[in-house]
Amino acid sequence: MWAKTVTENFAKVIHGLNANQLTDQVIQRSKRMILDTLGVGLLGTSTEVCHKVAQYSKIYSSDLSSTIWGHLDFRLPPLYAAFVNGVAVHSMDFDDTWHPATHPSGAVLPALISLSEALPQKKKISGLDLLLAFNVGIEVQGRLLHFSREARNIPKRFHPPAVVGIMGSAVACAKLLALDQLECQNALAIAASYAGAPLANAATQIKPLHIGNAAKHGLEAACLALQGLQGNKQILDMESGMGAFYTDYNPQTLPTLQSYPWLLEQQDVAIKRFPAHLATHWVADAASSVRRKLVESSENLLPLDKIEKVILKVPEVKYVNRPSPASEHEARHSFQFVACSALLDGSMSVQSFTSENVHRPALRELLCKTQLEHPPDNTPSFDSLYCQVSVMLRDGNAISDCCTTFYGHWRKPLSKEDLEKKFQSNALGILPTEAIEGIIETVYNLEKVEDCSVLSTFLSGQSPRALPEKLHFL
Amino acid sequence: LWETVTSSFASFIHAAQPEHLSQTVRQRSKRMILDSIGVGLVGSTTRVFDIALRYCRLYSSVAVSSVYGKPGVKLSPTLAAFTNGVATHSMDFDDTWHPATHPSGAVLPALLAASQMLPPNTKPNGLDFLLAFNVGLEVQGRLMHFSTEAHDIPKRFHPPSVVGTLGSAAATAKLLSLSSAQCCHALGIAASLAGAPMANAATQAKPLHVGNATRLGLEAALLAARGMEANPLILDDIPGCSGFSAFYSVYHPKPLSAPGEHHEFLLEKQDIAFKRFPAHLGMHWVVDAALSVRNLFINYAGSFSPSLIRTIVLKIPVSKYINRPFPSSEHQARHSFQFNACAALLDGEVGLGSFSESSIHRQELRELLDKVVVEHPEDNVANFDKMYGEVALLLHSGDVLTGKCDTFYGHWRKPLSKESLLKKFRSNASHVLPEEKIEAIITLVDNLENLMGACLVQVELLLAKM
Repeated sequence: MWAKTVTENFAKVIHGLNANQLTDQVIQRSKRMILDTLGVGLLGTSTEVCHKVAQYSKIYSSDLSSTIWGHLDFRLPPLYAAFVNGVAVHSMDFDDTWHPATHPSGAVLPALISLSEALPQKKKISGLDLLLAFNVGIEVQGRLLHFSREARNIPKRFHPPAVVGIMGSAVACAKLLALDQLECQNALAIAASYAGAPLANAATQIKPLHIGNAAKHGLEAACLALQGLQGNKQILDMESGMGAFYTDYNPQTLPTLQSYPWLLEQQDVAIKRFPAHLATHWVADAASSVRRKLVESSENLLPLDKIEKVILKVPEVKYVNRPSPASEHEARHSFQFVACSALLDGSMSVQSFTSENVHRPALRELLCKTQLEHPPDNTPSFDSLYCQVSVMLRDGNAISDCCTTFYGHWRKPLSKEDLEKKFQSNALGILPTEAIEGIIETVYNLEKVEDCSVLSTFLSGQSPRALPEKLHFL
Repeated sequence: LWETVTSSFASFIHAAQPEHLSQTVRQRSKRMILDSIGVGLVGSTTRVFDIALRYCRLYSSVAVSSVYGKPGVKLSPTLAAFTNGVATHSMDFDDTWHPATHPSGAVLPALLAASQMLPPNTKPNGLDFLLAFNVGLEVQGRLMHFSTEAHDIPKRFHPPSVVGTLGSAAATAKLLSLSSAQCCHALGIAASLAGAPMANAATQAKPLHVGNATRLGLEAALLAARGMEANPLILDDIPGCSGFSAFYSVYHPKPLSAPGEHHEFLLEKQDIAFKRFPAHLGMHWVVDAALSVRNLFINYAGSFSPSLIRTIVLKIPVSKYINRPFPSSEHQARHSFQFNACAALLDGEVGLGSFSESSIHRQELRELLDKVVVEHPEDNVANFDKMYGEVALLLHSGDVLTGKCDTFYGHWRKPLSKESLLKKFRSNASHVLPEEKIEAIITLVDNLENLMGACLVQVELLLAKM
């Protein structure tokens, strides 16, 4: 009956406690607490803050609803549409990554699209409005990350999308809602109170919810600010404000609006070519290159029995160091897994992470031969890390390759064609071809789109032939 | 015009216009948008998406849960929990424990909402409900014992948002009879929903901390019930990759004893403090001290004559967020040693009305506030088990009158009597419920462990019916 970990032990106790264990003292005291709490709650319903949140919450009892990407068959209240679509975006760790490290778009875009469908008085939003709000959301995330030196490296404590992502979502929604300055300030403060998720949930099924919740709660914070809710006006300035999430924290004011220097201007994002943690992309490129040297043609199999050892020189990132991943989530966060997969198959794809592929014997065999080394010059930062893959053969030879910049990294961005190919491949089977091409065209011309609800229509899978008038560009 | 970082952000957000977007920025961000959508679409084929979706579909149809004091209004369960949680903490009138948190508000609304979700034949009975409530408290208490930091009045994260969320998850998991593995995942999922910074205390947003704790804990349990999985080591120490330890700088997790012979609920040994007036717990010491010195002063001078007072010295522990010389809102006033001491001196009591707009801005109160200085004696530790409050009136005549309070009435060392507790409840509930309903709730809660399942529903209905 002994649990091996504290966590398991807690779960066992919670599960195992039954009414017999309640003593009289405990019963008596807890009933007093229940009574007092009810009274206090009843009284509290007369407060302004309660009135505001009740007004806000009633939104979800009406027929306001937003699109779930890829689904025509049903819709959800905007908050939950943002949540679900946000989870979808991060579900496979396939979304963009920035420097300093976070996943900026997933926290912002689902909230914006969801909100755009549910604005008061059915207000029309142009593509340019959407683009502006999106960029405000990205910019604020980047600026916040610059407040701490900790943020420059791959995280260890809090998962950045849960810290800055929700702030980005809040400000993007605030922008779309055209909140006044004070309301924007309150949106920031309210959002801060929802921020933060520990990194230990990365590489588990719950990680995608960090983005889903960032999108959802940011939207909520903006809506609450619109209702007049107020928070701490110095939330970004105080150590007990956003500073709570960092051990070193130095907030700075933003540059003036005159020719505003957007961070995205100087620092692009990395777009992933396969759905796994960014650090594994270096490993994949190096491993693919080693494989090409080992095997003459891509049809040939990797000569497994000739391989003695596989050595990976990688930065020290504990949550991506998994010698023997058991689930798809763990496999997406494993240097070892991606190296072996790429060596076996020549390249990585969405299919690399299916259950069959994660558990195939050839892969397991190669994993057993794989070890990691952490050279001191290999810093855990997406801007400077490198990966070297060396295959030591039984005959004494060794084949190596080192990748300092993978294709898709900001220093070597995906071409327009390859970005489109990724999108088409992802959307295939979920949306009809016309919608796929419709989205590509709409996004490429976003700043000229008069009414961005056409985007939502495509996303739900509706046939564009039914709505020719929506494709009206300025 | 000195600008804060925060206001610079707010003005940026507000003032940014499309023409500020450069070509590069437009181009790059459009690429990001396209990629994001594609990734989302393929992601809609995943299992985790499936679970999240099935969970959310609960909310597209009928709203089933009651909202305190609002007849005829029903909301989806988590939003009802949210709203009721906010109500509970809206005036800082709810209970406080040691180590410091507001335990009940984080748990009770979730349980009420969850029990309304259940089909009639599986509704929990009163004892199940009471058990789940206590599991929620116990988990919160145990978690706080993982860190010495938690023993003192908090500085970084607001405890209800940290331990309260997990308490709510545990309580709901218990009520829903989740398996042991599911209870584990509920905790893990809740951890990713925990944590709000202290800076929002003393603002209107603070009540959301309890509202969200109860709501998100409920959500975590509902997700776990539908098969969502998180890190099974979330409470353990994971070097290089923080779990629940992310919220503390010192963290030593310890296992709970198995229920049965060795396990003792923390509530057995450590009772709760109930507040007599709606303000931060720390205020209760200075108010009792102020009332005591006020009596001395009235004996001395015949009546309370502020003009005779030169200085008011408050001896209080160091805690920035409750040290406010001139609060300007009700939320700040509830978190101000100075305000509460002066209100007590002026009025002879502190109650609901003390925090109204007109009361806060009274001239005579402001004049008294002007006379206050604070001191932080070294022996006055910022800890609800050890702190004290002292109020000294330094008169123009040279005389000094002092009042000191080590343990206010309502503190766990001097608990409210049954009569006082009922008086508080009746007074509070009378703002929204008629007398018969008030008495019915009192009876029901008093008999909670004997209630059958159907009767529990009555409590919910009583809370909402006219």
